[in-house]
Amino acid sequence: MPPRLFVGVDVGSLSTDLVLLNDQGKVLSEIIIATGVNGAEAAEIAFDEALSETELTRGDISAVTATGYGRASVAFATGKTTEISCHGVGAHQLFPNTGTVIDIGGQDSKVIQIDARGRMLDFTMNDKCAAGTGRFLEVMADRLELDLGELSNPLNLEGETAPISSTCTVFAESEVISLLAKHTPREQIVNGLQRSIVNRIWSMVTSIGVQGEVTLTGGVANNKGLVLLLEAQLGRPVNVPDNPQIVGALGAAHIALKGYSQG
Amino acid sequence: MMNIPNRKEYLQQQSQSGQQIMGVLPALYPREMLWAFDILPAEIWDPPGDILHANAHLQATICPVVKRSLEFILKEPDIINAGYLFPHTCDSLQNLATQVKDLIGVPVPVYSFYNPKGEFNRTTRQYYTDILGDFQTILEQQHGSLDRKKLSTACKLGHKIDSRRLELQNARMTDRLPLSNSEYFQLIRAGEYLQPEDYLKLLDAISIPDEPIPNDKARIMVSGILPPHPDMLEYFDDLHLSLVADDLLAGSRRIPRIKLDPPQDPMEYLTERFFLLPPCSTKAGSLDERFRYLNKRIGNSQAQGVLFNIVKFCEPELFDHHLMVKALKDTGIPVLSMDTELQGGLSGQDKTRIEALGELLRDRMVS
Amino acid sequence: MSLAKSLKFKFMKDYGAPALLTFQNFKKRKPRPIPEAFGPPLKANQRLKEILTRHYFLSRYVPGVKKVAWVTSGAPVELLRAFDFYTIYPENHSALVGAKKQGADYCGIAESDGFSQDLCSYARIDLGHMLSGKTPAGKLPKPDLLFCSNNICQTVLYWYKAIAHELDIPLIHFDAPFVTTQQTEADVRYMAQQLQDMIPVLERISGKIFYLDDLEVILKRSMESSQTWGTILKEMQAKPAPMTIFDAFGHLAPIVSLRGLPVAEDYYHILLEEVQDRVARGIGAITEERYRLIWDNIAIWYKVRYLATFFAERKMNFVSATYTNAWAETTGYLDVKDPWNSMAKTYGQIILNNNLKHRLDLMKSMINDYGVHGMVMHSTRSCKPYSVGQFDLRKALNTELDLPAVILDADIADERVWSEQQIQTRLEAFCETLEDQVSAT
Repeated sequence: MPPRLFVGVDVGSLSTDLVLLNDQGKVLSEIIIATGVNGAEAAEIAFDEALSETELTRGDISAVTATGYGRASVAFATGKTTEISCHGVGAHQLFPNTGTVIDIGGQDSKVIQIDARGRMLDFTMNDKCAAGTGRFLEVMADRLELDLGELSNPLNLEGETAPISSTCTVFAESEVISLLAKHTPREQIVNGLQRSIVNRIWSMVTSIGVQGEVTLTGGVANNKGLVLLLEAQLGRPVNVPDNPQIVGALGAAHIALKGYSQG
Repeated sequence: MMNIPNRKEYLQQQSQSGQQIMGVLPALYPREMLWAFDILPAEIWDPPGDILHANAHLQATICPVVKRSLEFILKEPDIINAGYLFPHTCDSLQNLATQVKDLIGVPVPVYSFYNPKGEFNRTTRQYYTDILGDFQTILEQQHGSLDRKKLSTACKLGHKIDSRRLELQNARMTDRLPLSNSEYFQLIRAGEYLQPEDYLKLLDAISIPDEPIPNDKARIMVSGILPPHPDMLEYFDDLHLSLVADDLLAGSRRIPRIKLDPPQDPMEYLTERFFLLPPCSTKAGSLDERFRYLNKRIGNSQAQGVLFNIVKFCEPELFDHHLMVKALKDTGIPVLSMDTELQGGLSGQDKTRIEALGELLRDRMVS
Repeated sequence: MSLAKSLKFKFMKDYGAPALLTFQNFKKRKPRPIPEAFGPPLKANQRLKEILTRHYFLSRYVPGVKKVAWVTSGAPVELLRAFDFYTIYPENHSALVGAKKQGADYCGIAESDGFSQDLCSYARIDLGHMLSGKTPAGKLPKPDLLFCSNNICQTVLYWYKAIAHELDIPLIHFDAPFVTTQQTEADVRYMAQQLQDMIPVLERISGKIFYLDDLEVILKRSMESSQTWGTILKEMQAKPAPMTIFDAFGHLAPIVSLRGLPVAEDYYHILLEEVQDRVARGIGAITEERYRLIWDNIAIWYKVRYLATFFAERKMNFVSATYTNAWAETTGYLDVKDPWNSMAKTYGQIILNNNLKHRLDLMKSMINDYGVHGMVMHSTRSCKPYSVGQFDLRKALNTELDLPAVILDADIADERVWSEQQIQTRLEAFCETLEDQVSAT
């Protein structure tokens, strides 16, 4: 009997991530590519890449769960689940004691409470505006003429922080322009931006409450300075996966596996 | 199965046949009084279309109900031939009433009707009766003396509509109303513009079976000012999520919470009716009462979760919302809050939220 | 009430507070240099500071001695004074927090608890204070009673309901029907009856019996203070005006929050005397007053100094405001012989509870009486009753009086919505128009 294999694919606004699992839950392949303008196509490309990497064919795959914004457009999916459930399951797989997941994605930030089995108990998402999301950082990086990597330099917690008080991306951008006009050092502005995101996340966290270990997912988790600030604000350490972007796809793959085994 | 006339076409027809039509803004007003003067109230909550002209009169942080209503008024639609009525609902509508009347100016009369605020007692009751009388006097200046018999008939008609609405609500909560989410709220909202006789016919045509219809959908109560946009209601239908109960200003908050005795004295009846309306943010009564009421509706409808459909910048709702969400979460009820600016189309974010609520409720059903 | 607490309160009142004030004066830093554009500061500033410091200081010793009430700025506080409540004005406190540029901090606390960022910042600051105990005033006593009226906005009712719920204390609400054309007999009857209905409730909470003659004395004092305040504002018709409206924003505090007490009455006599003396001697609030302006809406508390300096440097002085005028406008209705009806008329018809035709007419006469050249409207996110309609008011004033005007989109106490670059550009453009127009005439 051929091995049973499962795929989770997360078609996000910025990147499309794919995870291939065997029936023991072992990760055989991880793919991250830019989504571009066509999510459906990105999913196909990621799928083909994973298959060629592992020398498999589509016929070898037992079930595929799609998640993320483009979840409805993935033609080869056998099921779809929101990224909220997927991040919960994915975080639980990586850090089984996780009780709270903070996902800072490209368009959305969310705080998810999960139980000991990784099932969602409650969740909250950011307002419609992009404050407190990856998009916010992207806009600001652009304005500061830094790339996203430079924006994520570990900040000096003792260092000076330029006040960015607006929680609206558009307003915050004009604040950044004013600060630049006043020759405020860029490091201080970066500190201010990170502080602003953490404040925003903090509001969501307090509205839902923290329980168990906290796991941070989504691409913004690579921002070391932000993680430090968040830990300081939470007063506890935060689990950061090696590859925080892939957590949604990982969760989706596990949902495919579980759904298949439960028939 | 239901044949509900389109709002615009229906009102155009009415207007062509010489009917007097008054544009009424949200939310609470003695509709029976208008009927008795042969005026058809056409309620204005969320007129569709782009907001263009209203932005020249209102700031960006004013709620879309107010903005859309003003946009509608600025078009000076012919069908509104008997004027506008602004019930006192919130600070923004209060000011809009005088802004339209005193600063912008419209070619038809502008009326207002104060709704008392806070916790009610005998003094409030006396005042409500007084302002009903004042309202009558003001309408008489334009429309001639009130025919008491007509008022009495109107109250009886109103009473029948309320009673039927209450039956339908209860039927929906107990799975005896085979209507989709979209159909149900379309039916409810038809009361915003139909002639009472037509509306009653429509309501009476719906049959209510004695036995519940098997329902494996996840059950949700929706609270807020307005039901979700029809596009969103369809999405709920697609996902097998059933909005079994509502706590909406445009819905159950405008129907007395218990069945009243048939009207004897019209003014007494209308006063009684107002004070038997369910707790509502816009009347600003006790928070404890409101929470107890919500909890009771959740129990009666066996709702597993609550959706708060919050109109952006709606201050009355936003204050209560925070405390209601807290209290509901304490009792273990999942809550989803969504902002709406009352336009159509579903964003990816909206879909994700609704689906996630569905996943959460189904997870709970399994365990 | 305990004897020990009463003695302590009396001691603090007679010795503690004066000692504190002496100490504060002693340790006082060198006063900030006054920019050249301004005339000599008012001497009454010192007295005002003492009164307010003393009021907040004594409030710490009040619990157990007097019952404490939190009150809205438009509520008929005279009735509470007849029961000897110690009153705290959360709006005043939120303005203080705003002026100290701490508004965003306090708002953040309320937002973290789940209150929406779109709610009034006075309310968010106050809820932030309630949730955290933080205050720049040292310590505020917990209320025994909340007293609000929706004559300034419906928002206060929601805000006070939230406090009443959280702290589990009684709330008395005075429902003031909005005046769409004119106040009706039914409105007056309703309000007068509500006031009388409150008596047994207030007797129970305060443990004191109501005497009508006490109320009459308080009403008389309130009326006189308001009238004196009105006279002070009228002195600003003089050219140059003896103070700026930014001064008046500060000197407003006693008429709002100590109305009906002897201290407020005495204070306004002192201020009036000084202002009249300045008029007689031709001393202006700014060194050279070339243009006279009117302010609409509540102050932008965290930018008062910035705005005052910006305009003073351009020889522009604010000589009038709808906001400061509100506590002088309707007190003429007060009548000690008919307390209930007259309070209904006074409190039911204040500017924010009255229609926009009334507001337009009032502004027109103010512009005329005070020789105003231009108008600055603060459109504030926090306050719908003050802000909804401003665009059309501006248009009407511009059409009828050819009055240049600018609208500033800002907030009363949440500094996060202030965008300095945008506002500066707008203000400069406004000043250019104003200068052109005035020099052309």
